This record gives sequence, C-alpha cells and structure tokens, in this order.
Amino acid sequence: MAAQPYGLIAGFSNPSEIFHAAEKVRDAGYTRWDCITPFPVHGLDNAMGVKRSMVPRFSLVGGITGFCTGMSMIWYMNGYDYTLTVGGKPLFSPMFAFPVSYELTILFTAFATIIGMFVLNGLTKLYHPILKYEHIRRATSDTFYIVIQADDPRYNPANTRTLLETIGGRDVAELEA
Amino acid sequence: MSTPAVHAPAAAASVPTVPALATKSLAVGLAGIALTALGLLISGSHAVATAWLVGLSFWTAMAIGMLLLVLIHHVFDAMWSTVLRRQLEHGLAAFPWLALLFLPLLLATWFGARDIVWPWLNPAHVVLPEGKTVGADLIYAKKSGFLNLKALTIATVAFFAVWIWLSARLRKASFSQDADGDIKWTRMNRVTAGFGLPLAALSLTFAAIYWIKSLEYHWFSTMYGVWYFTNCMRGAYALGVVIMFWLWTRGDYKGILHQDHWHSIGKMMLAFTVFWGYIAFSQYFLIWNANMPEETFWYNLREYGDWWGVGMVLVFGHFLLPFLLLLSYRYKVKPAILQRIALWILAVIFIDLCWNILPAIKDAHGNPQPFLSLNLLWAATSTAGVGGVCVWAYLRSFSTAKLIPIRDPRIGESLVHHE
Repeated sequence: MAAQPYGLIAGFSNPSEIFHAAEKVRDAGYTRWDCITPFPVHGLDNAMGVKRSMVPRFSLVGGITGFCTGMSMIWYMNGYDYTLTVGGKPLFSPMFAFPVSYELTILFTAFATIIGMFVLNGLTKLYHPILKYEHIRRATSDTFYIVIQADDPRYNPANTRTLLETIGGRDVAELEA
Repeated sequence: MSTPAVHAPAAAASVPTVPALATKSLAVGLAGIALTALGLLISGSHAVATAWLVGLSFWTAMAIGMLLLVLIHHVFDAMWSTVLRRQLEHGLAAFPWLALLFLPLLLATWFGARDIVWPWLNPAHVVLPEGKTVGADLIYAKKSGFLNLKALTIATVAFFAVWIWLSARLRKASFSQDADGDIKWTRMNRVTAGFGLPLAALSLTFAAIYWIKSLEYHWFSTMYGVWYFTNCMRGAYALGVVIMFWLWTRGDYKGILHQDHWHSIGKMMLAFTVFWGYIAFSQYFLIWNANMPEETFWYNLREYGDWWGVGMVLVFGHFLLPFLLLLSYRYKVKPAILQRIALWILAVIFIDLCWNILPAIKDAHGNPQPFLSLNLLWAATSTAGVGGVCVWAYLRSFSTAKLIPIRDPRIGESLVHHE
C-alpha cells in the first residue's frame, strides 16, 4: 500500500496516563497531533503545549469593524447623504450613533468569533480519517487516544510508533488517510 | 451531616494573626477624620459635610458590594468564589462602623443647620436661580412626603439595620461552619441570600436616592439606583482583587489561588465595567435626547467649569481604559497587572462619587464650586478617614476566623478551580 497514511493512533486507559504521554509527545517536538478524550481533561492543553486560541483576535477585529460601520453609516446617512434635522439635534453626533454602533459591535464580534472559530478549527468538515478507525467509539466511553499526523515534520513511521509505545500507548495502529 | 475539612495548604487551616497593618489603618482613619474636622473651620460645615458624604458613600458602596457578592455566591451555589468569600465576609464587619460614621450627618441635621447636606431639609433654603425657597417650591411640596427629616432618618436607620442584620447572619453561619462542618449553615446562607438580595437591592437603591440623588431634588432618573449598584459591584470586585493580591504576595494564598481564580474575577470586573458604561451612557443619552430643561440641568451643572473635564475622565477612565485593559486575557491572569487595574477602578469610583455629590456645593451665583478646590481635599480626607476605619474593621475580623471556609461543601472544588 503506497498511499500515505493519515497518522498513528495509540490508546491510553486513564487521564493521568494520557496527561503524561501528551507531555512527552510535546517534548519530542511534534506539532501536528491531538488528544481524543471521553471528557475534558483539565490542564491537558498545557501538557500538549497548546497555545492560546487566535479566536479573540478575530473578535477584536470584528468588534472594531462593527463600531466603525455603525458610526460611519449614521454619519453618511444623516450627516452627509441626506441631511435632516431631527428634534433640534446636530446632523451628526456620536450620541445617537452610539446605540447602533454598539449593536453592530456586538453583532460583528459574534460573527467574527463564530467564523474565526470555524476557520481555525478547519470546520465545516464532512469527514475525518480518524472516524474510520474501528475502535474510535471507545473515545466516547473509556479510552483516551493520541493521534500523531503523518504530515508532522517529525513524523517517521518507525520512530513515531516506537515513541507512542514507550510512552505507554497500546494498540498502536496506522490510520488510513 | 457534616463536611470534613479539605486538604489545603497549612496556611488555610490555621487562624491568621492580626496584621500590624490594623493599627496603622486605624491611625490613618483617625487622622483622616481629624483632618476633615479641621476642614470645618476652613471651608464651613456645608462643604465639609457634603465631602464627608463622598467618603461615606464610597466605603458604604464597597461594603454593600461585598454583601451582594456573598449573597450572589450563595444564591447561585457558586464554586470558584468560595476561597475569596471569607475575606468578603470579613469586609462586612465594616457596616456597624459605617453606621456610626454616618451618625454625625444625621445629628448635625437634627440639631444643627437643617440643610447642612441636603437642601430640602430647610424650608428657608433658597432654590436658585429663581430665588424661590424650598418651602415655597411646589416640586418640594409634591415630594415632601418622601423628602423630610423623619423619613430620611428612619430610612437611613433601616438601611443600616438591613445591612448589619444580613451581614451578621452570613458571618455567623459561615464562621460556625468552620467549627462543626454542619451543612445546615450552608442552607441557612442560601435562605438569607434568597430574601437578602431583594432587600439589599431595594435598600441600596433608596440609599442612593436619599443620600445622593436628593442633593438636586428637582432632578429624577430611574437609572440612579443602578448607577450606585454598579459602583458597589465594581468596587467590591476591585477590592477583592486588592485583598487577593495582598494575601497572595504575603504568602497566605499560596497554593490556594490559581490562574483561573484571577481570570474569573477579572472577567467579572470586565462585565461590570461594560455594565457601568451601559447604564451611565443610557442615563446621559435619554436625557440628552429628550432635551428637557427639568432633566438636563443636572448635566449642565456637571459641565460647568472643570467638571466637564471630570466627566471626560469618567467616560475614558471609568469605562474605556479598564474596558480595553480587561479585554486582554494576559492582563486578567497576571495578578500584579490585575491589581493595578483594580486600584485604578477604585480611584475612578471615588471620582465618580465626587462628580455626583460635590457639584451640590454651590458658589454665590448658584454654580458648582470647582472640582479642583479644597472640597476635593475634604472628600479625600473623608475617604481616607472612613476607609481607615473600614480597613481596620476588616483586619480586626480577619484574625477571628480561618483564611478560607475550610468546611464549606464547595471549598474542594474551589481549590481546584479550572475552567
């Protein structure tokens, strides 16, 4: 079989095992790999060396865009394109433009956050190679898995398999792409 | 049924000693009170008594905020805040002293000049600019059922009675649980929280109306109680961070506080910063938009002279700056930075109260006396005076109970708090 596999998968039986195994995979310098656990394991993100999500940057850009959109929209409409005096108020004031700008800040922040999260997660995705693994359902009940992807620069079929076995992984298997 | 004591760092299991700070803060308090009293000779009783109201309402806001945090903690059966709750309960020890420090204002009003602080208590007080007196003022006549000396006295006594009573119940239950671990104390606190929250909300709203809003009794705003509430909450969170930082650098909180405790309280600070911006803007915007003289005069007074600049300090310093800083995750989890943001928030709450109260001190033409004047000094000495006594009350209580509620059913979860 000449096709490049998706990667290697190894099973662990409890949170403490996968926690320490994750630290070793991290220290071995792998970057394209993941843990699959039946429930959230606190502190696993640190053990994996996962950096903070970039989603807040998307949110910030979305928020600033929303605020500026609201302000410039009201200025353009009432202060420039179709000037109209309402209730003796100035043609443009940030006061009455504020509620709209504030709403658009929230709306655009929400859009940017959701879209940013989807983009960074690689969603939407109709199919994932891991789902072809025959025992993967156990990841929803009693087994913790580490998957190291074949496109990781440090990936080597023999060495990566040895690493997964030495850190306590059981049933190390190759995943079809 | 009783809850066993959790395994916690040794510092948590023992009763901490009274810090040497206690005598120092009492000294600061007495010095502040003495300086303020000295002000009576320099600026006259009206200005100094009004400035005293700034100090009182600042620290009452802190104590009410702590009361609300403890009540909210219990009503939600909260988890992460259990490690901090004991310190807030110590803070509640300030209420009886605040009541005592409020007494001079009531006594002076009863036995001295009626309008020492609140103009509507003296029928002969001239309501500028019409030259009309309070007694001849139809607006006062309509409000006199509410705005009179007996009502003010009864209400003030009732406010402090409610706060002292709720605090005593919360403190007793929490401290008793340290000894016997009985779950009934948790249940009692839950009941107190259930009826205590509406009581606290109503009393703080009416306190803000009676003590502060009535300084311009022609004016009205339905946002006013919420404004004071927001300062209570922001103050209590900020003070909570200052206490956390103090105990953390002193070593008491080592092994108890984690990054996520800082993050959690930082997020609440952000939420209430946004809330303050929301209600302060709403109040201004509705009045600006309606543009009715009967409402706008209150803001016009606060645009007179250097008060306009103070208003700008509030817009950018009370909202925008803390908002931008607290958006950052890194700033929320770095204790030293979070503590600086908290100190800044405490400083601007003081400015906010000055901005709401001090323009009641008028010059000969009925315009507010400037912000940068001796009145600001008396407001500062009052705040230091009342604050010194409150901090002393906190520290005195600090050494009467364990550092954290060691047998609270939620303490175990709180010690390993993780998002």
